[in-house]
Amino acid sequence: MDSATGRADAVAIEVSGLNKRFGSIQAVADLDFTVAPGRITGFLGPNGAGKTTTLRILLGLVKATSGTATIGGHRYEDLDRPLHRVGALLESTSFHPARRARDHLRMCSIAASIETSRADEVLDLVGLRDAARRRVGGYSLGMRQRLGLATALLGDPSVLILDEPANGLDPQGIAWLREFLRYLAGEGRTVLVSSHLLAEMSQTVDDVVIIADGRARASGPLASLTSQVRAAMRVRTPEADRLLGVMAAAHWTSRRLAHDLVLVESVTPDQLGPVLARSQIVVYELVNQSTDLESVFLSLTANEPVVQPVTTSPGQPSVTPP
Amino acid sequence: MIRGIRSELFKLRTSPGPWVAAGATLLFTALGIVVVFLVGRGHGQGVQFIAPTSVYRLRRLIGAGFAVGGVWMAAIAGVLCVTGEYRHKVMTTSLLVEPRRWRLLTAKASASLIWGIGLAIVSLLLVGAMGIPLLKTQGGSVSALLDQAGAVLPGFFAAFALLALFGAGLGTLIKNQIAAVVTILAITFIVEPVFDGLLPHVGRWLPFAASAAVAGGLAPPNARIYLLSWWLAAIVLTAWGLIPILIGYFVTFKKDVT
Repeated sequence: MDSATGRADAVAIEVSGLNKRFGSIQAVADLDFTVAPGRITGFLGPNGAGKTTTLRILLGLVKATSGTATIGGHRYEDLDRPLHRVGALLESTSFHPARRARDHLRMCSIAASIETSRADEVLDLVGLRDAARRRVGGYSLGMRQRLGLATALLGDPSVLILDEPANGLDPQGIAWLREFLRYLAGEGRTVLVSSHLLAEMSQTVDDVVIIADGRARASGPLASLTSQVRAAMRVRTPEADRLLGVMAAAHWTSRRLAHDLVLVESVTPDQLGPVLARSQIVVYELVNQSTDLESVFLSLTANEPVVQPVTTSPGQPSVTPP
Repeated sequence: MIRGIRSELFKLRTSPGPWVAAGATLLFTALGIVVVFLVGRGHGQGVQFIAPTSVYRLRRLIGAGFAVGGVWMAAIAGVLCVTGEYRHKVMTTSLLVEPRRWRLLTAKASASLIWGIGLAIVSLLLVGAMGIPLLKTQGGSVSALLDQAGAVLPGFFAAFALLALFGAGLGTLIKNQIAAVVTILAITFIVEPVFDGLLPHVGRWLPFAASAAVAGGLAPPNARIYLLSWWLAAIVLTAWGLIPILIGYFVTFKKDVT
């Protein structure tokens, strides 16, 4: 962080051809993505997708089987005084329960050659000033998350890597975190946030990287990705076979999702409703497939994509079919 | 490296385990002081409480923390210094601050060694606060006691420091805190006594026997014939610390932290 300008040095995160194998399990497979400075990038994926493993490789805690994960062109373990460059929040249990919050931060400060007075500053920043002298064992999950965030901010880093930072936060805390991340990105910092709270992420992030089974499924600006979701309707009916026939006759693409559930692609409720009425098909449920982050995520992490695969080009999102 | 060692010492200062070890050292030292004053009357007539006068008993008063077992606490403190990180998942934080693992481990080993010396100082302070007044009240000679300090203290400090290093090595090799502490106790109460009894020429190479040799004059006279020379014992005890650290570094410390 440049203290004169108040702007962070532009540092990008680059992951290239990353692979990690734990025995017979391929946790990360040929993963490529970049995270741009000054933007909040959401790192999304279902449980076991390889998000945490990727972040741990990036932070030098796990050794990659092959490929590279660098911050500003350097491996984390090669960074001189890494806390000054990168702040990381990995899990809310990384504290000695008998140690006071202030002492936890001072312990890190001493090792990283940071003024110990900075501990009080960051505790103030995350709203833990009054609990600074309490033992961490008595902290709630939300307070631990805040303390983790304070640890990440200790060295005033230009890169922040946060794994599920909203875990345990109450609605006010989540709103606070959203504004806080916006503020940090506004200073030019590189912010990479992994989360499974898609609704929250859609309000927070600028870019997304979506992974499943250790592979990148999509990356790019959130707005570009959501714009690619095809309009679609889900119909629950006891007459699924007849509905599929009617849709075929109307030249609409449809497919069966379950014995009583049919997905009709590229139609709107206004178009589909009258056709169903004319055909006198019994309908239990008619759902408009939304075009939000959740839809993108579900389509990319399920077997059948709703997002059209596109060719990568500058400024455009990259989408790989599952 | 200095800042790493300072941080590790700060960690020890701000967690309860090492203080429990310090408390136990005081307890063992107090016991050791009392034992020095107790002398058997002979022929089953009980014991009497009298001031030490012989060179051996005066040395044992100075090294009261060593003789009864306070020195074990140095090894346990060394174990706690390393395994506490794994137990409370603080290793992740430590490696984020210092990702070069050999530097982190060196800082931990150094801090353990320093904490071991700290325990020796704590023990000596109690000898000063409790042993010397007792000596005076029983009509003993304080100057005679102080005359033995030069012969005892270098070995006394070295034994505490090197056993703490041994503990750090064991903790590096065995990440599970309870398993590592149990291993220390098993070596102390089972392995070494068995070797001392059955194969003393092998047993003298084991860590606590080596620490007795390093401490020199603190070992019982009849045991000294089996002990290594102090300088060889110091090398052996250092090896008991460094070899597990080296093996542990490659076998456990360098592994993925998931």
